[in-house]
Amino acid sequence: MDILLGSIASGILLGMVLSLVALGLTVIFGLMDIVNFAHGEFLMIGMYTGLLTAQATGLDPLLTLPLAAGIGFLLGVLCYGGFVKYLLRGPMIAQLLGTFGLMLVLRNIALLFFGSEDRALHHGLLVGKSFDVGMGIIISATKLAVAVLAVLSFVGVWLLMNRTKLGKALTATALNRQGARYMGIPTERMNALAWGIGGATVTIAGALIVNFWSVNPYVGLIFTMIAFTVVALGGFGSVPGAFFAGLVVGFIMEIPGFWDFFAITFNISWMDAVPMTSFKYTWIYVSYFVIMLISPRGLFGWKQ
Amino acid sequence: MEAIRNALDFSDFPRIDRMVALAVVLLLVTFPLFPHSAFAMATMIQFLMFSLYGMGWNTIGGYGGQVDLGKAQYVGIGAYTTTVCLLRWDIPFWVSMPLGACLSIGWSFIIGYPLFQLKGHYFAIATIATSLVLKDIFEVWKFVGAARGLGILPFKYQTPDFLRLIFKEDVYYYYTIFGLFIIGLLYMNWFRKSRLGFQLRSIKDNEEVARSLGINVHWAKIKTYAIATAFVSVVGSFHAVYVKNIEPEDTMSLDISILIALMAMLGGAGSLWGPIIGAGVLIPLKSYLKEWLGAAAGLVGIDLILYGLIIMIISAFEPRGLWGIVEKIRRRKRI
Amino acid sequence: MALLEVHNLVKAFGGLKANDDVSFTVDQGELLGLIGPNGAGKTTLFNCIAGMFPPTSGRIVFAGEDVTALGAPEMARRGLARTFQVYVAAGDLNVLENVMVGCFMHTRSQSKARALAEGILDDIGLRDLKLNLVSELPVAAQKRVTMATALATSPRLLLLDEVAAGLNPSEIEDIMAGIRHIHADLGITVMLIEHVMELVMNVSQRVIVLDYGKKIAEGPPRDVARNPVVIKAYLGERYVRERKVSSDGDRHEHHGRADS
Repeated sequence: MDILLGSIASGILLGMVLSLVALGLTVIFGLMDIVNFAHGEFLMIGMYTGLLTAQATGLDPLLTLPLAAGIGFLLGVLCYGGFVKYLLRGPMIAQLLGTFGLMLVLRNIALLFFGSEDRALHHGLLVGKSFDVGMGIIISATKLAVAVLAVLSFVGVWLLMNRTKLGKALTATALNRQGARYMGIPTERMNALAWGIGGATVTIAGALIVNFWSVNPYVGLIFTMIAFTVVALGGFGSVPGAFFAGLVVGFIMEIPGFWDFFAITFNISWMDAVPMTSFKYTWIYVSYFVIMLISPRGLFGWKQ
Repeated sequence: MEAIRNALDFSDFPRIDRMVALAVVLLLVTFPLFPHSAFAMATMIQFLMFSLYGMGWNTIGGYGGQVDLGKAQYVGIGAYTTTVCLLRWDIPFWVSMPLGACLSIGWSFIIGYPLFQLKGHYFAIATIATSLVLKDIFEVWKFVGAARGLGILPFKYQTPDFLRLIFKEDVYYYYTIFGLFIIGLLYMNWFRKSRLGFQLRSIKDNEEVARSLGINVHWAKIKTYAIATAFVSVVGSFHAVYVKNIEPEDTMSLDISILIALMAMLGGAGSLWGPIIGAGVLIPLKSYLKEWLGAAAGLVGIDLILYGLIIMIISAFEPRGLWGIVEKIRRRKRI
Repeated sequence: MALLEVHNLVKAFGGLKANDDVSFTVDQGELLGLIGPNGAGKTTLFNCIAGMFPPTSGRIVFAGEDVTALGAPEMARRGLARTFQVYVAAGDLNVLENVMVGCFMHTRSQSKARALAEGILDDIGLRDLKLNLVSELPVAAQKRVTMATALATSPRLLLLDEVAAGLNPSEIEDIMAGIRHIHADLGITVMLIEHVMELVMNVSQRVIVLDYGKKIAEGPPRDVARNPVVIKAYLGERYVRERKVSSDGDRHEHHGRADS
């Protein structure tokens, strides 16, 4: 039973972070119908930012978030202004491969500077601490703090997009680009802003994730795929959709835990034999495929 | 008969194209006669392999406009079929290669049917997903060696072994893949003029119009996907006996899928010469950059950075690839 | 003999009925016009007939067979061809290749398809443009390419969707001659949607009028033009006035576009 509850708790906490990971992707997609393959690499950069500043300054890794956000914002705006702007004029195939090129460049720059080995945080206010909430569930303090901060960031972006004039201009551009331009909204600048927000949120997510996940230059791809799945499930372009879909994907990532629970509780021997942890990510790919077939516009899709 | 005539007929290309193509083929035939390093030979073999991969991708991706980023799974199926057949039952290459192609085609029909209900980005990401699922399965499947993969021990065979395609000297591999390259080129020359080829280009242009012209769009895509798959699978089988050591990571990873798409894309998707030009530029660049900058100067990954930059520049400024530049110049001259 | 029968066709998009209980027949060898204000559901009707999407209810009978559930490719193979209102040819097919795609419906052989396509291009008068990309051509030539491509499937019934839109008077004359040629010389039954009244009223033997998805009138062009319901719903006072003026003076002076 404790395995089951532990998996559920862990799934929810992870899910909240994954929502934040996918947020930027869905904002960008909603605005300009482009899929950013380098999304996971932005996250990787956030992870390194958190790790390296924490190690260099001795500050707690959770305090590095503003720096990560700043770097992410700059990176996003730079990528848009220097590169993506030109991609948007081309056919879809060029957009796909173009951001893939960006991914290769970012990944290998990281490889060049940081080497290929796994790095993890060993110190910090919360690293390694956990507490018992009863019924045998042990929640790691890091994961809880990270989840809370992720939700706060998410709400922050949501407020920015729904309660400020700037955010409303952004949403208007996403709904109707032509119309927004006629209303005097600088749509070019909105695009850049979307990339800035996208970059900032995903690097924050990276700086959070590094608290319980080791980082190497190749870590990006799996997060890109996770983000694609969250966005597909939540509906391409939908911000609230991304939040709920993130929770669902958090649960999907915990499938090995549920599997163990059933195998142990009901003593099913063949289930024990399957190396379920190796298929941790496989379920993500499978669920993307299935979601797209059943409901091509996602569960919360709002844009045709 | 007409099919063969069409495959051999290059007369719709300008004279200069045919001359250059002939010169390249002659150069390829005589290349092993010139003094060359083992490294140059390996690069040439890679070039021919990736030309073929690119030609396969070009059917569905170039002519059909369906951005398929999951071709690596068929490299894997081809390579694993050949290796497993050889190691377990001593089945020669010339039997296991078509067997692998059949398995690949079978698998391509199974996933192609749902896959082609998706369009655009959704399709592209789904192709990645399917490919990665297969890779994950192979990484734990003991029968195929799980994550460590399988190795062919060449000393167990007497070389040259033309049936199993086990050689000590690379020159045999070179001529084998060159033969496949010529067959592939002629097939593509037929394909682009065939009914299916025309239907695909019409689909790429506008699916609604294609439907109104009696084309079963879904089925045409699935058929073409199977053709692309067969190409990739055959080269995958060749990869297995040539490299002799396969693992899921270097046959089925996303990087391989992207590399395959990139050959056609850089050279010019949807043109006969595109994949060959793309492979001709990218493969030597990749090999030598890796050799000089990576191994010699100790800058790990710098080859891939340059590689990524090339991809970025091409996709932002000349999405029709190198051949697109040539065609643009020609068009300007004509007008 | 009726080539096409449409019985009580309804097509709803959500709550909006784009076609509401439309019934009519097209006889073998007829040239039928379909008019109506913007948003009257003309193109939706074409799409239903051509099998682009299934109707919500109703029945479509083509050449004596119920074809209501058939998709566009099957309809094309049974002898129904259509052109598209907005034809974006961004691809790399040239004019000849475009027409060949249509010819490939009946043959697998490239040489046969090519010969057939060249014959059609000669017939339509596009021979000199055959190696140009469609996107390079002026609008009038593009329209003729779409007609040639549709003809390449050797149809029994040809649906033309606004082939004269955006053309100048002399180009409209050419298109009109082209439609007459297809109908009279090639013996193909034609049904056309058109906003250019000059063209519809001149070439059609019979006209059907749609308004808000419903059929409001049907008959010879002259009668329809005088029908008070049609005038009220669609043609408007202005057209009637202009028509009076023009029938007094030179007919070719004006191309009254009722929607403009």
